[in-house]
Amino acid sequence: MDDVIATLKILIIGEAGVGKSSLLLRFTDDQFDPEQSATIGVDFKIKTVNVEGNRVKLAIWDTAGQERFRTLTPSYYRGAQGVILVYDTSKRTSFDKLENWLTELRTYCTKRDVIKMLVGNKIDKDQREVDTLTGTNFARRYQMLFTECSAKTCDHVQDAFDELVHKIIQTPGLWDTEKSNSGLKIGERDGEAKASSCYGGCSLI
Amino acid sequence: MATNDNQEVQSASDSNHQLTADGKNAQMIICPNCRCKILLKKTAELVNTDIFLPYMRVKKNTSNQESGQVDGEQLSQFWKVDNMFTFENVGFTKTVGSSIKYLICADCEIGPIGWHDINDKTTFLIATQRIHYSD
Repeated sequence: MDDVIATLKILIIGEAGVGKSSLLLRFTDDQFDPEQSATIGVDFKIKTVNVEGNRVKLAIWDTAGQERFRTLTPSYYRGAQGVILVYDTSKRTSFDKLENWLTELRTYCTKRDVIKMLVGNKIDKDQREVDTLTGTNFARRYQMLFTECSAKTCDHVQDAFDELVHKIIQTPGLWDTEKSNSGLKIGERDGEAKASSCYGGCSLI
Repeated sequence: MATNDNQEVQSASDSNHQLTADGKNAQMIICPNCRCKILLKKTAELVNTDIFLPYMRVKKNTSNQESGQVDGEQLSQFWKVDNMFTFENVGFTKTVGSSIKYLICADCEIGPIGWHDINDKTTFLIATQRIHYSD
């Protein structure tokens, strides 16, 4: 549609089992068990959101379990404007691995000012291994947005998600040169192959 | 069981779709389960083509996965768009076989509601029997 101002590529990454897919992609009410989709596995989703009266299309890519085998390819990262980095607050090891994920982001993201959001998941679990302050500090050090949530507090995720999209829209160099680009290719994960116009530097917090 | 469930969904869907003068969908296309918006009005073209889609629900403990067979049905009427960003909301499954991706609801993930062959970048099909309409 003509009134769509941007098409953004957003990635969700983090260690296996931290709840990336269940937390951010599915808001099912369990009335209708989506067995068929669950069996095959979801690759990516297109969602349309409203940002201050503007329609924005998001292509949201989950790692679809590939992180278990450390096989995320450079093309997975290519062209991404936003990254949601998830860890499990009840599992310290998933937090300790965040540095590795950031290194990978720095290596493969073609846009240097990609907007990052850190999400501490599963706060409803009893045994906390990463407290809120630790998460906050880490997010601040790496200029990331931050939120904590659980499957029961999905509202936080939606808010944080909106904030991420907001930040991207407020960072013109990140998306305005690609306005007409809908060339995200399926299958090859090879879309948006052209080099981005990097304005450099980070833009938030 | 699986077949019955599937038929429920089908019979619940309004197959009396309305067309605009130029053959586009006159109503918004929504998820039959959660009413998530899939396609806005006048964004898709009605086409007739035979495509096999697995049923939306599968039997538990089915042995079909081992045998490599999938229960499903041949469907013949679809809404077609030529750019995936025409969708308001939609999900794509991982590639099945050599080149097929099924389309599912982006929110509740019910599906398959549609079909895409990654070798044909300008054809995205939504089965008329597997969606609902809204004004």
